[in-house]
Amino acid sequence: MTAALTVTALVKRFGNHVAVDGISFEVPRGCVYGILGPNGAGKTTTLRMINDVIAPDAGEIVVLDGKRPGRDSAAFIGYLPEERGLYPKMRVLDIIQFMAELRGLAAGEAKRRAAAWLERLGLAQWGKNRVQELSKGMQQKVQFATALIHEPAIVILDEPWSGLDPINAEVLRQVVDEIRQSGRTVLFSTHQMEQAEKVCDAVCIIARGKKVIDGKLLDIKRASAAEGLIAIGFSDDVSRARADELLADRALVAERHAPHAGDLADCEVKLADGATPQKLLAALVAAEIGVRRFEVVVPTLHQIFVAKVGAAAAVAERVEAAS
Amino acid sequence: MIDRDTRVIAKREFLERVRSKWFVAGTLLGPIFMVAIVLIPALIAGQGGEGTKVQIADKTGVLAEPLAKALRDEQWHPEIVAPDTPETTLLERVRTKQLNGFITIAPDALDNGLIHYQGDNGSSQKVERTIFRVVRKVVLRARGLRQKLTPSQLDDMMKEVNVLPEHTTGKEAVSGLATFFIGYIVAFILYMAITLYGVSVMRSVVVEKTSRVMEFMVAAVKPRALMGGKILGVGAAGLLQITIWLAMGAITLAYRDEILGLFGASGGGAALPPVDAIQIAIVIVYFLLGYFFYSALYAAAGASVSSEQEIQQVQMPITMLLVIGIICLQMIGNDPRGSSSAVMTMVPLWSPMLMPMRYVLGGATLTDVGISLAILAVSTYLVVRAAAKIYRVGILLYGKRPGLRELVRWLRY
Repeated sequence: MTAALTVTALVKRFGNHVAVDGISFEVPRGCVYGILGPNGAGKTTTLRMINDVIAPDAGEIVVLDGKRPGRDSAAFIGYLPEERGLYPKMRVLDIIQFMAELRGLAAGEAKRRAAAWLERLGLAQWGKNRVQELSKGMQQKVQFATALIHEPAIVILDEPWSGLDPINAEVLRQVVDEIRQSGRTVLFSTHQMEQAEKVCDAVCIIARGKKVIDGKLLDIKRASAAEGLIAIGFSDDVSRARADELLADRALVAERHAPHAGDLADCEVKLADGATPQKLLAALVAAEIGVRRFEVVVPTLHQIFVAKVGAAAAVAERVEAAS
Repeated sequence: MIDRDTRVIAKREFLERVRSKWFVAGTLLGPIFMVAIVLIPALIAGQGGEGTKVQIADKTGVLAEPLAKALRDEQWHPEIVAPDTPETTLLERVRTKQLNGFITIAPDALDNGLIHYQGDNGSSQKVERTIFRVVRKVVLRARGLRQKLTPSQLDDMMKEVNVLPEHTTGKEAVSGLATFFIGYIVAFILYMAITLYGVSVMRSVVVEKTSRVMEFMVAAVKPRALMGGKILGVGAAGLLQITIWLAMGAITLAYRDEILGLFGASGGGAALPPVDAIQIAIVIVYFLLGYFFYSALYAAAGASVSSEQEIQQVQMPITMLLVIGIICLQMIGNDPRGSSSAVMTMVPLWSPMLMPMRYVLGGATLTDVGISLAILAVSTYLVVRAAAKIYRVGILLYGKRPGLRELVRWLRY
């Protein structure tokens, strides 16, 4: 089976600014895929190109089985743009029906589903009200309904968590989960790593218009763990003092940091090239240092993000300074 | 030709408008205005002059009596005063409202001397015409008497002169005034429809930008379908309203005399000249195409702004273009076969207003009409495309209105 979405060497320039600079990634079917990046990384521009809101300058986008963005694929995509808006004077039921019709549903079916969605969102009694009479939260729910009502194979959400309170954020997470369980695909963008970590199967991290890393979340984490960050907790003060000398051995340990805030470890060390966790543990045991905790750290997505994007940003700055 | 997306958009625009309170109110109140437009001129034209109190200071000694009599026949209240009454005294009487006005007749009035009316109703066209007609008659008769004409010779000389100017370019003649009048009405209804609903199209585009709904729209449909749907939907709502108005107007016209009678006025004005089916068809086709063309212009203008406040600024130039068309109507009326008429009726900006009149006046052949219609149709399509492009590119820009140069660059996107 082909991927839900394949993006190849996508480029978009605005004047002299390159917003998206040769990004490629593939979204497998039935997964939840996150496009992560800091502000201005090119997330929204990428999603807009996938939705044919703007045309790419170069590169290729293939939706489902060889469809192009635009008219061809509109009925198969549900889109919640970053710029969210509804016609303020329209009645709630009418606007959901209207947007469903635009995504290819027949008028009668659109009306039936619109009513069902309002029921599901707990807004049934608001159907005859005008959009502008709804609270912001309610409007957001209506917008989700307009993105999902035609049961699209691919649901694209641009910064879906922005502006949501914790309760609604949780509701959204459940909705995303439901879509995945029904075998459909979710593609979303965010800079909120905690949310992404909870729902994503795979991610693509971009910064300054370039891809930094992509792949299954588990693979990325495993790869980052292999970079040899180890958290150590000592059993007593004597062991802690004795360890200082051993951890200063550059053959074993490249760097030593204080642990992350909230971590109960005494320190975190980065292994030197060629060293393995086994060697370090053996050395600790041989030196009779009491160890309460010895853990190969699996970094959080947030940590990976900061490490990768921070490095990318630093490289970019150096390149810019040199040119 | 019209795809499904366009239809869905048009349906929404149509229903949103027709369901609104303003539409219902406007549809019902419009005819009241129309009745007022028919009635008020009739009422105004019907009055003026009756009961005017005037004094006549006649230095010829022969004109005062017959003039007073003639004015009395016009329901005025004339009074003869001493010939040497100073003008200051008479002016004072007007100022204190004892009089509406006075007539001073110079001693040589029968030989081109001045007969001068000054009054508080001197600006009324009706008063002006009455004075002119009555005085002229009285003076002519007095001159006849001076030449010792017999009463029968006098009556013969004073008989009405009958003149009828009509318009023709080789076919059956029609009343020039009435034809011109119809052309004016058609152009004016078009002007009203365009300013009412064209602006509505523009607002509809701007609302999409200000409410940020357009990104969703562009993701779901082609901007061209969006623009086309808007123009068609708003257009259908407008046409529905105009049709209702015209029906009501036709009823009003059919019963005009009865309605005027209720207000104590009598019917006037020229009867409608006969029009044939081709002329009606041409009027309707130009009306529709002109309407869509200008709606598209408004849509393009709307796509280039990003806030309600800026609407005023972009609306102005389009309104000016329309006004130029209205002004040129006179030119077509004066010289329907001239070359400037030929040029103006080919330009899509003005052909909708001008070509129907040029054709009715016999200045254009059906071939000319066909060419002009083709230009108009193609231009409308191009403007819709341009509007769609401007709209799409405008998504990326909020806040700043693009300059003309920037707009041209957007069109090449």
